[in-house]
Amino acid sequence: MNRLTQLPTLRINPAKTLPFTYREKKYQGMSGDTVAVALYSNGVRIFSKSTRYHRPRGLYSLDGECGNCLMEVDGLPNIQAETSLLRGGMTINPQNIKSFEKDSGPDKVDPAGFDYQKFHKPYKMWPYFLKRIRNAAGLGVVSPSFRMKGLFDEQYLNAEVCVIGGGPAGILAALAAAEQGLRVILLEARPWLGGCSDYRSAEYTPGVALYSRARELAKAVEDTPNVRVFSHTFMTGLYADNHVTAFQIGAQGDHFNERYMEIRAESVIAATGCIERPLLFENNDLPGIMQASCAHRLARTYGLLPGERAIFSVGHDLGIEAAIDLSDLGLPILCVADCRPDVQDPRLIKELTERGIPFMPGWVVSKAEGGKSLEKVTLTTIEGIRHHAVECDTLVASADLTPAAGPLFMSGAKMEYDFHTGFFLPGQLPPKVHAAGRLIGLYDPFSIEASGHLAGLNAAKDCGASVDALLKTAQKEIGRLPGPARGSKWMLPPSVSLNRDIVEKIFICLDEDTTVKHIDQAYNMGFDTVELMKRFTGAGTGPGQGGISGHNLPLVISRYHSDSVMPTLPGTVRPPLVPSFLATYSGRSRDMVKRTPLHESGKAAGALFQRERVWKHARYFSDDFTCREEIENVRGNVGVTDVSALGKFRIFGPDAVNALQRVYVGNMSDIPVGKVRYSAMCNEDGRLIDLGVVTKRGEEDYYFTTTADRADSAMEWIRYHTRYDQWNFHIVNLTDAFAAINLAGPNSRELLRKITDADISGDAFPFMACRTFALRRETSRDSETSNVSDISAIPVRVMRLGFVGELSYEIHAPASLAESLWDLLMEAGRDFGIRPFGSEALDALRLEKGHVIIGRESETRTTLHDLGLGFLWDEEHAGISTVGVPPLKFTRYQTGRLRLVGFKTEDPSRAPRDGSIIVEKTIRGYVCTARYSFTLKEAIGLALVESRLAKKGTRLQIFEDGMKKDERLYATVVSTPFLRSVDG
Amino acid sequence: MSLTITCPICGKRNGYEFRFGGEDRGPRPDEKGMSPQEWCDYVHNRANIAGVQKEWWCHRDGCGSWFTIRRDTVTNLEIEN
Repeated sequence: MNRLTQLPTLRINPAKTLPFTYREKKYQGMSGDTVAVALYSNGVRIFSKSTRYHRPRGLYSLDGECGNCLMEVDGLPNIQAETSLLRGGMTINPQNIKSFEKDSGPDKVDPAGFDYQKFHKPYKMWPYFLKRIRNAAGLGVVSPSFRMKGLFDEQYLNAEVCVIGGGPAGILAALAAAEQGLRVILLEARPWLGGCSDYRSAEYTPGVALYSRARELAKAVEDTPNVRVFSHTFMTGLYADNHVTAFQIGAQGDHFNERYMEIRAESVIAATGCIERPLLFENNDLPGIMQASCAHRLARTYGLLPGERAIFSVGHDLGIEAAIDLSDLGLPILCVADCRPDVQDPRLIKELTERGIPFMPGWVVSKAEGGKSLEKVTLTTIEGIRHHAVECDTLVASADLTPAAGPLFMSGAKMEYDFHTGFFLPGQLPPKVHAAGRLIGLYDPFSIEASGHLAGLNAAKDCGASVDALLKTAQKEIGRLPGPARGSKWMLPPSVSLNRDIVEKIFICLDEDTTVKHIDQAYNMGFDTVELMKRFTGAGTGPGQGGISGHNLPLVISRYHSDSVMPTLPGTVRPPLVPSFLATYSGRSRDMVKRTPLHESGKAAGALFQRERVWKHARYFSDDFTCREEIENVRGNVGVTDVSALGKFRIFGPDAVNALQRVYVGNMSDIPVGKVRYSAMCNEDGRLIDLGVVTKRGEEDYYFTTTADRADSAMEWIRYHTRYDQWNFHIVNLTDAFAAINLAGPNSRELLRKITDADISGDAFPFMACRTFALRRETSRDSETSNVSDISAIPVRVMRLGFVGELSYEIHAPASLAESLWDLLMEAGRDFGIRPFGSEALDALRLEKGHVIIGRESETRTTLHDLGLGFLWDEEHAGISTVGVPPLKFTRYQTGRLRLVGFKTEDPSRAPRDGSIIVEKTIRGYVCTARYSFTLKEAIGLALVESRLAKKGTRLQIFEDGMKKDERLYATVVSTPFLRSVDG
Repeated sequence: MSLTITCPICGKRNGYEFRFGGEDRGPRPDEKGMSPQEWCDYVHNRANIAGVQKEWWCHRDGCGSWFTIRRDTVTNLEIEN
């Protein structure tokens, strides 16, 4: 197809061609083409088949206002071909190939709400139909193995003024605000500024075309340092406090493919202009029918004439202007019909006459005919008296303009029907939101610019600039210029009268294949408002987000209310205004994984890591996932494990003890210095939320640990629950500052003795005590140079705890010395045969000891009593009320709750899977953790069961996922701990 | 999140930085003599007003302090006292 390559308005580079593949054939596009334009230039006319009726659909708008041009590009489904730029080497395919191959769809259309009504009777048939409907419905296919490619970024911006829309009004607004020294952000959806002036060759002033003016304005705003211009940026939402969301498509050379943006602005100006209101007539969806701006831009921006014999049926002056311009560019135009009998600009009519194009005011297209594409249209007078059929291949059809008022809807403005323009316009705008330009119905280029300037000044005023004098001048100026133009009220062809037999294929929504007949049927079923109609018929709920139907739908519905006082109301517009990738919203998708200070040491020792919430834990140290050797080495010898993920805090000050009393259920007031107390935190429901130890390190100075999950919120929790008390204490989060290693096993004391001078005998360092000393290498201890300042000495805080049920030491050391500490322990333990053990072995070891892990043995209803940990609660609290204590009182003797019990299976070799359910006739509980215990040589586990099953000796029936219906695993409730041991 | 919150220590910041702590209801009532129903009501039920309310926020990605602001729950705007 020949392309016009010399136009000054072109946005393509004709010298540079880009190869691409469409349906496995090679084609060439031009640099700057969108995917849709490149296909159109290569003769592609059918872009998709519609969702429901599989009707052929073609290029209709160029701004993605409908789903006609959704395609699969490089394996990504549902790419809006109209707005996506062509890149060299793209592979493009139509969607729903099966129906694409077929010639045409069914002749009859289903009635409205067809699938809601027909398939539910009898109800048991519904699942069958559901499956079939789901298979048939939807657009595009994503393969489960699909991985999104590309770079996605995010940006959070602040500005005084945010202008949405980079046409003349938006640019003037941005400039006016910028002149006041304010920071301005200008968002434009197209890759360039200029709005609809960008492609118009009509005169702005004698000798200056509108497109020259647009380029001049674009340059002026781009050169203004305090205006940040974001082109190819789609505004998606406007929220309270003028919080604007948008996303930007990366240009060549940008570091991102798409970028999510949030802009916080003091004042917002919407200058989004207009889109076109579709003309409704029979078969208005045939390929070859397009909007006026689509045809105009195809030629002016992309150098492509839309067809060979064109008919125009429009309802606004921009459409007539497009006809004149396209005729000058070489498009044969058979006639221009205008549904308005008068009010056209006489200069335009004169120009049509000069070119010999018949002008037919008061005529409109009532019917289109054709197979795969348009062949013939029927023109009718608006009274419906005379008809005239013409053969043509292109029909430029548009009833009127309609404001792209999405930002105004979302600002919370009440939108009302304006009888002059025929637009839905804001009755009153909320504070600090302004509208300007064609969006408010203005037509004259000078009025549009003046309204932009005025809006810019108003926004500047919102931000505190003193612009009163300037405002007065601007208001006077705009009063002098033409106001909003009268809009066309055209809606339906005269052959269509409601409540009678309506011709079937007048599509009010192309995306969802909703016809005017559907609206009629739905109305007769009682769906009488836009919102109900949208939901029942689907109109406006497709990928175009109501762009095509948003205006016509309320107008058509209002015809049914002609005898009532019900106002014509538009539907609700919700964010996002423009669909984007989920990947864009996830932005950089940073993986917030944390590694402990001992990550590298563990890795060197052969650890296999597993992600647990934010942490990467060393779970196994061998390929044997039962961890037998790791476990047996702890029970019989000595092992080390990294427990650095524990939350670690210092709390000190005169009221530190009170703060601890407030959150811990145990009594914290009588811990002697150097001692450790095991305790729990509950929430106000009495649910166990944290288990840890509190150590008194000095007067008014405590060190406490929390579970890894609570490390992030423990400080917040304590401060929250003491917020009214004015207590004097400080908390420091030492979680990341300290590493922690658990040294466990019968040989642990012997090992430790080798590397410390401190007295760690059972008497000097008993169970539940905390000591601070230094660890250093044997050789450096023996050497005479050894002294306090020996750099090989590692200062440690050691607590004798019993989580795994052996003699064990929890060694806390500064994170920077963690690796040295690990090496020191491994070296000193070599003679013993020390082995590191992972979180899986730890899990099995603590299970033998009957210790619980929060979230494994507890859930959102599990109280301290349910877990048998009621002994941790001490009613003596030195007068301080404690979080969670009242419900602990209430539930102390409560029955009918799930209780934690230990069990042994009858088949000692077989442990049920974690999460298996405990059944009688119904579910009576579930297995929390179960393992084969290498120490006890039998399978043991912990389960939450109904309290009446909690008695020792009760036989439990366990049902594992995948078992046969009557198959069970039997277990007996036993007392815990399963293993009596040295400590704990 | 379109909300901005003014932290008494760090100033006006993006709402993303904060954690909500619920409406201000004063210190915890004396638990003595409270029935489970009354306790449940205290723990779980809120006035949930449409309008200006005094409420707690924690500047978790900042100074870590708890403080109150007044916010209009209808417009989601912070109200200066």
